[in-house]
Amino acid sequence: MNGMRLRALLWLTLAVVLAIAAAVQFAGPLPLQSNLLALLPPTERNPVAEHAVSRLAEAAGDRAIFLIGRPKADTLELGKAARDFGAQLRASEVFRSVVDEIPPFDPQQLARFYFPYRFNLLGDGDRAASSDLVERLQRKLYTPFQFGPGYPLADDPFGFGDAWLAGLPLKTLRLETQDGLLVARSGGNVWAMVSAVLPGSAYDGSIQTRVAAAVAGAEARLKQDFPGLEVLRTGTVFYAGAARQSAEREVDFIGAGSLLGMLLLLYLVFRSLRPLGLGLLSVGFGVAAAATVTVAVHGELHLITLVFGASLIGEAIDYAVQYFAAHLGAGNGWEPMAGLRRIAPGLLTALATSLLSYAALMLAPFPALSQIALFALVGLSAACASVFLLLPWLLKAPGKRDPEAAVALPRRFLVGWKKHVGRRACLTAAAALLALSAPGWSRLASNDDVRILISRPPALVAQEEKIRELTGFGNSSQFFLVEGKTPEEVLHNEERLLEKLAPLAGDDDKSVLSGYLGVSMFVPSANRQAHNRQRWERSVFADERRLRELLSDASLRDELAERMIEDFANSNSRVLSVDDWFQSPLSTPFRHLWLGKVAGNGAGQFAAIVQPQGIRDVGRLAELSGALDGVTFVDKAGSVSRLFQEYRQWGIVWLLGALVLIYGVLCLRYGPAQAAFMLLPTALALAVVLGAFGYMATPLTLFNLMGFMLVVGVGVNYAIFLREGGVNAAATLAGVLLSAGTTLLSFGLLAFSSMPALSSFGLTLLLGICVAVLLAPMVLSFAPEASR
Amino acid sequence: MKKIRSLLVGLMIATAALVSPLPARAADVLNQIGAQIEQFQVVRAEFVQTKQMAALKRPLVTSGHLTFSRQHGVLWQIEKPYRVSYVLGETKIVEIGGSGGDSVRRVRETRDVPGLAQVGRVFRAMLGANSDALREYFDVAAQGTPAQWSIALTPRQSQLARFLSGMELSGGRFVEEIRISEAGGDDTRIRLSNSQGAAALNDAEATLFGTENDGSGR
Repeated sequence: MNGMRLRALLWLTLAVVLAIAAAVQFAGPLPLQSNLLALLPPTERNPVAEHAVSRLAEAAGDRAIFLIGRPKADTLELGKAARDFGAQLRASEVFRSVVDEIPPFDPQQLARFYFPYRFNLLGDGDRAASSDLVERLQRKLYTPFQFGPGYPLADDPFGFGDAWLAGLPLKTLRLETQDGLLVARSGGNVWAMVSAVLPGSAYDGSIQTRVAAAVAGAEARLKQDFPGLEVLRTGTVFYAGAARQSAEREVDFIGAGSLLGMLLLLYLVFRSLRPLGLGLLSVGFGVAAAATVTVAVHGELHLITLVFGASLIGEAIDYAVQYFAAHLGAGNGWEPMAGLRRIAPGLLTALATSLLSYAALMLAPFPALSQIALFALVGLSAACASVFLLLPWLLKAPGKRDPEAAVALPRRFLVGWKKHVGRRACLTAAAALLALSAPGWSRLASNDDVRILISRPPALVAQEEKIRELTGFGNSSQFFLVEGKTPEEVLHNEERLLEKLAPLAGDDDKSVLSGYLGVSMFVPSANRQAHNRQRWERSVFADERRLRELLSDASLRDELAERMIEDFANSNSRVLSVDDWFQSPLSTPFRHLWLGKVAGNGAGQFAAIVQPQGIRDVGRLAELSGALDGVTFVDKAGSVSRLFQEYRQWGIVWLLGALVLIYGVLCLRYGPAQAAFMLLPTALALAVVLGAFGYMATPLTLFNLMGFMLVVGVGVNYAIFLREGGVNAAATLAGVLLSAGTTLLSFGLLAFSSMPALSSFGLTLLLGICVAVLLAPMVLSFAPEASR
Repeated sequence: MKKIRSLLVGLMIATAALVSPLPARAADVLNQIGAQIEQFQVVRAEFVQTKQMAALKRPLVTSGHLTFSRQHGVLWQIEKPYRVSYVLGETKIVEIGGSGGDSVRRVRETRDVPGLAQVGRVFRAMLGANSDALREYFDVAAQGTPAQWSIALTPRQSQLARFLSGMELSGGRFVEEIRISEAGGDDTRIRLSNSQGAAALNDAEATLFGTENDGSGR
């Protein structure tokens, strides 16, 4: 009795410590992470590339973009609507800034910026070949219009400056300014753009909530004042918000569903409320401990872990269920410590196999897996500890229910099984199942696409696609990283890359890409500037007398030639630098391309990004970078997919390894031959599920493998429990069926998750556990007579 | 930039005016264009353009032919002092000829050039006689009689006003003169004569526009 009280006190102490730790940890908002990519380890070998990836994601991620319009919208009304919408967003004070009106873009500003450096600059065409000055002058004079931004005749009589300006990649977006608004057009429809910058991370739950409220308010107001106008939106914050919402909904749904179902099952079997309360207590203790420790170790709890945790309830309650089963089976003869001692070997073996499986999972250098594994390890251990420490003290009184009546049904099943199902029948069934499944294996396919991690609401995706189509915004995670020891070397390396890209770019389907964007397109390397200047010198200023004649013949005022010659001489030491360019407000849309000084162990200390646009052939781009110094092609989505593939393959090895480890543990207790029989139901379950996936043409993902890991853990548990049931076999079977029922309830519900990853995880478990529990009684047929 | 905008706008107004014979009441000039624009598919005229520029010792004079097609756009063919043609379509501008002969082509997409699409839109607004759209960019003041009218356009947006101080066009049955005053002081005057309406493009013109439309210009 004292021992029991001591144990209970120990549990209480643990519970108090846990409660305090949890209170400290969850005092603020729940550190729930909804960025799915945060679950992934760095994919790039080059740390600078990883930095560049997150920099680009940040540049795109802290922004929300809205397009307001409707077919045949009146532009004046649209302008008013867009400004009203912007004002509403601003008034909500949720956003750091809201841009509805943009300062008029003055192309002449660009011309003025480059003017002092004009003798260092040449367009691509002019660098490649020299041209006839007379013809150039004529063209400048008689062209009825100039194409794009340009210089007055007096400043650029030969149009070299105009050609440089025309080569700038200014029109990379399909937007234009009108009346101070940024507008996009398609067909006859006009859309006005409003953009807003978030006050913090798009993955911050409170920001998501406030943004959603502010946008809903502004949208409702807009619809009221301007009926018929449509608002399109896109931004990481909306996706992350939707993902959080659906995950929270699922946690509620799956958690509540599995809890309710579980309680109902418990009540049906035990006809008493006490097991319900005690079961909940042990599971609650387990989950609370798991959440607290996970947050303490990882600093945050990921959505996927939480959803997984909700379903872990199904496995955590198994230990308590076994205890109740023992209680039920013992009837009047119940003695808590004796009962516990009897089920202890089974519980501990089961816990050991589960912990072993999850511990191996924790070794994966993959934050998602290791977080889930830690959560499971702590949760299961704590739940099991509750059974050992707390339950004996709380469940002292013998059950009032007649044990014979309570387990009549399982007993009849057991008697039937022993009578009709022998070893031979089991082996025949196993062979038949393998034969049935085998053709399915050959049809197995796999899917490592990063998108299996992310569920994107179709409505948001449709809006994003429309916005992309209207504006030309791309959110490609593919780019070139250019590095160098100095900014000059970066520019030089980038120029060599762009020379290779230029012939590949075009609008037709045969082109590798439609365009590209890099800082060196605005600021040539000093080396190139020097070459340009030499060309100017050779082709324009080498013969000053001829220059004067040329201009005079075209009836330009005489002083213009003198001024030009003088300007050229005076600009000798002037070099345009990246810093000069960034000081101009015109560079704002392109600043993210320059990473500047970076701490890296790669090719150098400075880095820049070249963004390819409209990529049609990723392979060619990756190939291209291999041949160039200081250039790396970064493909984040591709890297993640490769990572998934790696882990999927790694997971298969793990699965086999886990089976071997578990076999080892089982050998210790049951001997080699019996251990093999104990594993048989679980192994068959894996085989059957794999075959089923093959027949269903459901590609295998990393998350199916995670499901298999649980199937192995749980399936082996059932075999152990049944085998250890001994004299109480019927009650144990009832317990195992109960366990399977609860687990199926929780994981089965997971199959309905909107997250592709979780639903394939759930489906694996649903099938796997069904088969495992149906085949589990096989161990009884193989068990030596003595232990029956 | 200055030149392109002012000239294109001038051009579009000119061509639109070309297809608007005899405005009944001067105040309704734009609406008249709308009412009668269907009358001619194509209008041809000769032009003489005189440009006064600060950098030049004497005015620059250019002359040639202008063809406007409601469907395809504008063909601006300079004959003196040297031959070069410009095909101004909705999405592209093609330059043909110059000292390299007719085989030399330069194609620019209007969307590649900031502001060009906008000018093109005013252009189409004029062609559709969409006076509302035109009024987005200009204050429009019209006066005179159907036999002798003039329209003054003043930019409404500061962006346009920065390089264009105003435009004026005048005429009778067809537009006869366009004046474009740039903010920098340069001044362009285009005189149009021998204007004639037609039902369709001739083969040579169609070829020029056709090559513009097939998209193989680059």
